[in-house]
Amino acid sequence: MAPVHTSTAPASDGATVPSESRGAALGNLVRRPETGALIGTLSVFVFFAIFGGSQFLSAGGTASWLNVAAELGIIAIPVGLLMISGELDLSVGSVLASSSMTLAIVSGHWGAPVGLGILLALGLGLLTGFLNGLLVTRTGVPSFVVTLATNFGLAGLTLGLSRVITGTTSVAIDPGSPAKELFGTLLANKFEVAIFWWIGVVLVVGWMLHASRYGNWILAVGGDTVSARATGIPVPKVKIALFMGSALGAALVGVIQTLLYNSAQVANGQAFVFNSIIAVVIGGVLLTGGYGSVVGVVLGTLTFAIVQQGIYYTGWNSDWASLILGILLLAAVLMNNTFRKMALSYAPKRKA
Amino acid sequence: MSTKRTWVRTGLATMAAATLLLVSACNSGSSSSTGTDDEATTASGGGAGGVDIYVVGGKSDDPFWSRVKRGAEDAAKVAESTGGSVTWLGPQNYDNLGPDAAKLIDTAVSNGADVVVGPDWVPEAEDAAFKRVVDKGIPLFIYNSGGLEAADSVGALNYIGSDDHEAGVAGGEYLGEQGVQHVLCVNTLPGAANSEARCAGLAEGVEGSGGEAEQLPMPSSSFGNPTAVSQGIKAALLKDDTVDAVVTIGTGDADAAASAIEQAELGDRVSLGTFDLDETQLSRIKDGTQLFAIDQQPYMQGYLAVSMANSYVLYGIELPQRPLLTGPAIIDGSNVESAIAGAEAGVR
Repeated sequence: MAPVHTSTAPASDGATVPSESRGAALGNLVRRPETGALIGTLSVFVFFAIFGGSQFLSAGGTASWLNVAAELGIIAIPVGLLMISGELDLSVGSVLASSSMTLAIVSGHWGAPVGLGILLALGLGLLTGFLNGLLVTRTGVPSFVVTLATNFGLAGLTLGLSRVITGTTSVAIDPGSPAKELFGTLLANKFEVAIFWWIGVVLVVGWMLHASRYGNWILAVGGDTVSARATGIPVPKVKIALFMGSALGAALVGVIQTLLYNSAQVANGQAFVFNSIIAVVIGGVLLTGGYGSVVGVVLGTLTFAIVQQGIYYTGWNSDWASLILGILLLAAVLMNNTFRKMALSYAPKRKA
Repeated sequence: MSTKRTWVRTGLATMAAATLLLVSACNSGSSSSTGTDDEATTASGGGAGGVDIYVVGGKSDDPFWSRVKRGAEDAAKVAESTGGSVTWLGPQNYDNLGPDAAKLIDTAVSNGADVVVGPDWVPEAEDAAFKRVVDKGIPLFIYNSGGLEAADSVGALNYIGSDDHEAGVAGGEYLGEQGVQHVLCVNTLPGAANSEARCAGLAEGVEGSGGEAEQLPMPSSSFGNPTAVSQGIKAALLKDDTVDAVVTIGTGDADAAASAIEQAELGDRVSLGTFDLDETQLSRIKDGTQLFAIDQQPYMQGYLAVSMANSYVLYGIELPQRPLLTGPAIIDGSNVESAIAGAEAGVR
């Protein structure tokens, strides 16, 4: 999420706002790229509101999926941005694990101030993202392979170092104030502060993608790299910044989970690799890049979290949860394709 | 033309070498992180009468296996003192566990093992490899999983470890004594033989005192994400207000369950227990927010298996206890202090 350029050229005019049809009529709603994702979120919510009973709708029930969505969303938003630019990041699992182990070892095992541990954990994330970006832009190796490699490499490094340093693979930490309140506490004993971090990420990234010129750059890079370069967009810098963003998101969730559960474990985090991609795809982002929105990713994340947690409120055997997720993923992508076609094929010929 | 081909070949060779380096780096990271293993392996190359022990084990990044490995490493010091060596072979991941373990067993044989120690996780896949060990006249010990049945069927000398079903029964009986009636067994690895046996044993133990236990299976998309596990448990507790105890199959899940009970504000009604043990469980048991932990004492599995392998090959020593059980041990408020000391050393 570091700005691509420090030179702050004014880009506030509405002229640079991409794919935004202001003052759109209600009929145009179906042509918005997020419409498919919105229908998905609403239908799973209604579904579980009916079958999940009053507990699902209670504050505790709402917190159930909101907490899960917040942590997933902090990773899924920057991962979505990266996917819009045409790249994948499969290293978020190991970044999460290494960031949480870094914090636990520095501040829990060695007893350094928690602030220092958090800075190092986030710094490690940024460094990994920088390396990912550099490798992808310099070598031309697909990001799928590069980030898969860093996911394994970093997992091995985290494991090896934590065993050499602490002798174990799960390290306890007693964060204390104010780090606990800022990152890992429960408001009203139910809602994670991660929700506010998520909102913050949504606002910042939403502004970047939809209201700043960087958003145009990202969409252009994902749409057609060659043309993007020809028009003067610094493609490598944009990509490196985006890789750093997704790694920073993963590192932040690592910090949040460590401070929330007062411990770090080497094996944590790998579920986020595919869950973040699922959330982004349900949210209508094209796997090939060049198309997608922050609102869509937010909706995709909510849909995923509601399905994953809602099943426990139905009282049904949760053996079936993965099946429902699989069906949902397929249905969401098919629906998104339909709405994307409608959105893209719409040409304002009949303009009044 | 020929120079071009040479270049290509050099490039390929470099890449292959780099890949090998990477793989071996991963190996040394996850399976034999201590330098002593490697030194011992080379030192024993001369065959100065020492015993070359090959131990097949789990990924050492799960907290449990790091303790098994710690026990094996401590016992290795004795083997090394007589010129022997202990080599740890572990899979990179658990995605293809049976076939991977079978390959590791074959690797141990082809590396010239004097004795092999291995867990029988997936008998269908591994037993053929274990039989090849026995057919070559190499002594074999089964540990950690499989039980005495597996040891007997492949012709191993003994089984060292815990029995998941027995551990579950012990936990269930303990809960029964505490007056618990309705237990939720949280299973984050549904379908795995050992986690199913734990939950089944738990149910049997609780039923002995008139209670009941049911399983809460969690999909793989929750594995390794404490928030998803925690919110799932919270939902199940809110859904069914007769549940008065939650038992998890591992320590990471227990951390998530503790948070779930706190968020549901059910600390007075629901007590928490877990299979396996780590520092965080111990501190919760100490301050009273967790009732107990069922320990299979993994350190002793590695320690005893390697010790027995070494002393059998060197001196023909066999113990009368078959199987040689390392657990279950119930850790609760009464014995938590000494367990804390062990955890600080990375042993418990």
